[in-house]
Amino acid sequence: MNQTKAIAWQKRLYFMKRYGIGLLFLLPWLIGFCIFVAIPIGWSLFMSLHKVAVVPGGFKYDWIGMKNFKDAFVTDNVFPIELITYFQQMLLMVPMIVIFALLISLMLNQRFPGRFLYRAIFFLPVIFATGQVLSELFTQGAGEIPFIEQYNLEPLIEQYIGKQFAETIMSVLSRAILILWYSGVQILIFIAGYQTISPTIYEAVRIDGASPWDSFWKITLPASVPFISLNVLYTIIDLFTFPLNPVLAHIRDNMFKMDTGYGYASALAWIYFGFIFVLIAIVLLLFGRSVKTRRDRR
Amino acid sequence: MIRRLRRITPFQVILVTVFTALAAFMSLPIVFILNHAFKPTNELFLFPPRFFVQNPTGSNFEQLFLHATNATVPFSRYVFNSVFVVALTLISVIVVSTMAAYVLAKYQFHFKQLILSLITLSLMFAPETVGIPRYLIISGIHLHNTYLGHILPSLASPIAVFMLVGFISQIPGELMEAARIDGASHIGIFTKIVLPLAVPAIATISIFTFQGVWGDVETSTLFMQDETMRTLAFYVNSLLSGLQNSVAGQNVAAAAGLLMFIPNLIIFLLFQRKVLETMIHSGIK
Repeated sequence: MNQTKAIAWQKRLYFMKRYGIGLLFLLPWLIGFCIFVAIPIGWSLFMSLHKVAVVPGGFKYDWIGMKNFKDAFVTDNVFPIELITYFQQMLLMVPMIVIFALLISLMLNQRFPGRFLYRAIFFLPVIFATGQVLSELFTQGAGEIPFIEQYNLEPLIEQYIGKQFAETIMSVLSRAILILWYSGVQILIFIAGYQTISPTIYEAVRIDGASPWDSFWKITLPASVPFISLNVLYTIIDLFTFPLNPVLAHIRDNMFKMDTGYGYASALAWIYFGFIFVLIAIVLLLFGRSVKTRRDRR
Repeated sequence: MIRRLRRITPFQVILVTVFTALAAFMSLPIVFILNHAFKPTNELFLFPPRFFVQNPTGSNFEQLFLHATNATVPFSRYVFNSVFVVALTLISVIVVSTMAAYVLAKYQFHFKQLILSLITLSLMFAPETVGIPRYLIISGIHLHNTYLGHILPSLASPIAVFMLVGFISQIPGELMEAARIDGASHIGIFTKIVLPLAVPAIATISIFTFQGVWGDVETSTLFMQDETMRTLAFYVNSLLSGLQNSVAGQNVAAAAGLLMFIPNLIIFLLFQRKVLETMIHSGIK
């Protein structure tokens, strides 16, 4: 009896040693994460199901169930439109950023003098593209390209592509600098990805008579599929939490309105989050499948 | 030397020219913000707007400081608050996140996957929405109007841990095993092996944290009711929003914009090489 107890005690001591110290390292961060990230997120879900009113000495919660979520689509005449427009822009901008990053990284991967300097320059904007500086630049009009207005491109685009898409395309064009600015991290991820392809493969296909064009399609591109998916995810998250985003601005506005209040704003945020989540799930599914088929074929 | 020159092909010449053009295009906004701050008032309103300043003056900065000395709280107080908060946050974020990332990357335990997926989920969540609950928590534990109220909310940053986990998990496990066999303790392994090897990643997260905290106005607006506890970013922001629409405020705004931007540039130039290293390594599986 005594012996089994001793063994159990030894066992517990072993696990304590094994996990305890590890968990001790994790603990300060975990406590902070729970208090300042996890609980607030949960709280906002709770609030989204209530009508939140500010009363002296705190907040008053009235249970209204899913009404906030319903109102977002039925009563609010700004939110659904902004959400859809932003999604359209997103669907255009994400591929543009990723393809642009792919091209630039391909070129940066070539050997030429001063390569490191150029990599630094392309990464530089990412560092500055934080809210403060960016909104400052946009209020001063530095983010726009003058030639769009000078040459009156809008009627041309309307004529050739159609009116319903013209607005979206114009807003994407006017953000061309933004596209350049937002592709820094993606470029570096791609460059890192190319380093994983062993140079002997290129040598082998060159001996077999493949042109550089072939070796790009047959080797470089298939090998960088995981990095493309990583970049698509990164771009989506980056753009959706972008501080000048109209949907987020709308959420912020609603937060301090008397009639809608914080509960409604939280509901909007959760709807927005739901949309991002679905989009990311679709992307993961698509890329997951393509990676899998590639693996099976091998 | 001649051999090197001969190696430069026409293709490389084209590449370099294209990149020079693109790089110039990308640095336009930065050049713009630099020039804008030194423009005299009459040049700020030129139409069409000019890129380069014709008659540079320092009067914008003069006005900014004049404006600042008229305020109830001295300008230096805001600067002190900002520097103090940023320094403390940086140190504590580095310590806390590397410790957490080390455990998450190198140990197996229950709920590890749950924690990792929670981190990814919270990256996607819009930061604005957690503002009010955070305020309630901060005032619940009586941290408003203290420096801790500035520091603690940014301490548990999911992005720092996310990046560090990716980096630390690439440090070969054999190194740690070897150290363990040689009799190193957990703390020994952490300080002697993990920390030195993770220096590039730490440089990266310290840049990102610096950017975030330096430009952050949320903590000052929500958690600080006492004007003497607010940071420089808050002061500049209130200055900008108060003056944005007036003609007289434009030059002050331009100068303030540059002032907020310079520390970011300095920090970036200091750590730039390290960041690029991390970015290049952390993608490799």
